Amino acid sequence: MIQINELTKVYKLTKKQMMEKKTKKNMVKAVDKLSLTARPGEIYGLLGPNGAGKTTALRCIASLLKPTQGNIKVKGYDTVEDSQSVRKTIGFLTNEIKLDPQFSPRYMFGFFGRLHGLDERVIEERREELFDYFGIKDFQDKKIEELSSGMKQKASLAVSLVHNPEVIIFDEPTSGLDIITARNVTDYLKHLRDEGRTVIISTHIMTEAEKLCDRIGIIINGVLVLEGTLTEILDRTNTKDLEDAFFELYKIHNKEEE
Amino acid sequence: MKGTKNIVKKELTRVFTDKKLVINLFVLPGVLIMVMYSIMGSLISKMETDIKTHIPTIYIQNAPEDLDYIIDAVDFEGNITYISSKDSTTHIKDGILKGDIDLLVIFDEGFIETIRSYKDVGDPIPEVRTYYNPSEDYSNAAKGNFTASVLHAYQQSLLAERLGNIEQLQVFYIDRDPEAGIIVDESKANGKFLSMLLPFLINIMLFQGAMGLGMDAITGEKERGTLASMLLSPIKRSEIVFGKLISLGILTSLSAVIYTVSVVVGIQRLADGAMGAMTNIQFTPVQIVQLFVMLIVLVYLYVSMVSIVAVYARTQKEAGTYVSPLYILVMLGCIMTMFSTGGVKELKYYAIPIYNGAIALQDLLVGELTMVKFGVTVGSLAIVAFLITTLITKAFNSERVMFNA
Ligand SMILES: Nc1ncnc2c1ncn2[C@@H]1O[C@H](COP(=O)(O)OP(=O)(O)OP(=O)(O)O)[C@@H](O)[C@H]1O
Ligand SMILES: [Mg+2]
Repeated sequence: MIQINELTKVYKLTKKQMMEKKTKKNMVKAVDKLSLTARPGEIYGLLGPNGAGKTTALRCIASLLKPTQGNIKVKGYDTVEDSQSVRKTIGFLTNEIKLDPQFSPRYMFGFFGRLHGLDERVIEERREELFDYFGIKDFQDKKIEELSSGMKQKASLAVSLVHNPEVIIFDEPTSGLDIITARNVTDYLKHLRDEGRTVIISTHIMTEAEKLCDRIGIIINGVLVLEGTLTEILDRTNTKDLEDAFFELYKIHNKEEE
Repeated sequence: MKGTKNIVKKELTRVFTDKKLVINLFVLPGVLIMVMYSIMGSLISKMETDIKTHIPTIYIQNAPEDLDYIIDAVDFEGNITYISSKDSTTHIKDGILKGDIDLLVIFDEGFIETIRSYKDVGDPIPEVRTYYNPSEDYSNAAKGNFTASVLHAYQQSLLAERLGNIEQLQVFYIDRDPEAGIIVDESKANGKFLSMLLPFLINIMLFQGAMGLGMDAITGEKERGTLASMLLSPIKRSEIVFGKLISLGILTSLSAVIYTVSVVVGIQRLADGAMGAMTNIQFTPVQIVQLFVMLIVLVYLYVSMVSIVAVYARTQKEAGTYVSPLYILVMLGCIMTMFSTGGVKELKYYAIPIYNGAIALQDLLVGELTMVKFGVTVGSLAIVAFLITTLITKAFNSERVMFNA
């Protein structure tokens, strides 16, 4: 269970960042009063354009960033007050966080397993299962720097699941993967959902949101503009598919910002 | 602290399974230092023996008859050509300039007659002039040796002839047996030499080692996005910090040992005689313990100094820029000890971090480090290092530092 309550996240910009972004404001409000709940046994999808604040929101859930305002509870643990328990509960995957390129997937899996306090025997069992499922065994002993980006993504995925987390937070989990592996990943996420875990992902791929997510939250400029099941969203926007609905909402809400 | 242990293990594995890194960090610098000093050493010693075995080419104008006899008597070796006052010396002087000829000695005309006809004060005194080239080693040595052995002996013999008894001239002797007069505590003398050089070397090597490793292990990991993955694991940030510091400390110590040994071996070859004494140096068990503790604390301090810079820097390039003032600071502290005359310093100096490390090492090597000074030094270094560690942990908790957020 993830409960986000009025989350606002503001980045303070350095002078250099302001020049790069060509703005005079020294703040960026990446997430704006976002509230949502993701329940056990469902896959929640955050759908939004580039820069909408998806990664920022997920990092806040993962306790890596502290909310500027509002709060987040993961399985009842507050991400600021009880970040240690939150980190035990979650499996987090994002592009910007990488595995040490000089080690093999097998070594990194063991390393993070030990940091999570797992027994060698348990680690071995988990490795057997996950490496087999994602087809990592063929390159499990190669250095990560020698792998293709898809192989790296698979390895990161497996490592993030080493401790069999109850809450799964995946930032664009299929980016960089071929269709076959992407299907593998989404199937595994469904399997986790069916086991009763809480899954939240971000994406800007419409079909993925349609097919995979039980509920979708559309986020534009840091604001959650609409939330519901696919049918609910289509009903509310009076459209036939998610893409149309998304454009409809984007037209309204991106104008509002300006 | 299980997390710390795992991180240390991983960091060490990372370095030691990377052949290129091992070669770059440990093997290459060590070999380079050794080769450099050895080449310098063999060049210098070759030069010295060369000068010793070189037989100088000497021209002597107007040589008195009995000079030949003196040269034989003092066993002076040289290719000596005698010329008369009619011969021109221009081409000989040219030869000295070019380095073909080492020495020209000109006796005044009627040299021996003038001396023998000397009666009283005011009578003429003849002169011997030597022409040589001080920038040529051979020429320099030839002039020195010829004056000291041949001319000096000749002067003594002529004086003896004039006075009948040379002892009338000798009011007193100075050190007839120079060796017997040297009173010195062997280990202290050796220590004195070491104490000038070693603290400097040890400090610089430690800091350099910490610098290279720390930039990569902290800023590098931040840049590569691999540090963040550790921040996601359910261990305390302080455990990560200690894991990093301990592994860096181990690697730094190792590289410092290798560098220092290379330098010592290299220098030994550089000036075999002077440094041969080095092997005689003897430490008491207390000194060994003091040295060990000092080195550990110094490593801890330098690693933490480098790490705090490495944590705040966004890129390794930036880290390199920020760390150089610290490097200069450490160098300065050490250089100050190299030029100080030693002697007993007041206790307060042992509370100045970095400087105290250098002077305490210096004292230790000459066996003059009291327990109180040792305690003050180690205490102040450890406190500073611990404060920096606290700051590093704070930085690890800051999203601004860790994620540029
Ligand atoms: N470290 C940071 N410092 C300053 N501003 C940031 C930082 N990270 C993100 N931002 C800004 O916050 C806003 C939201 O970024 P975020 O990465 O959360 O978007 P996103 O929805 O994940 O986009 P994408 O689909 O491109 O991954 C953007 O305007 C971005 O420029
Ligand atoms: Mg993103």
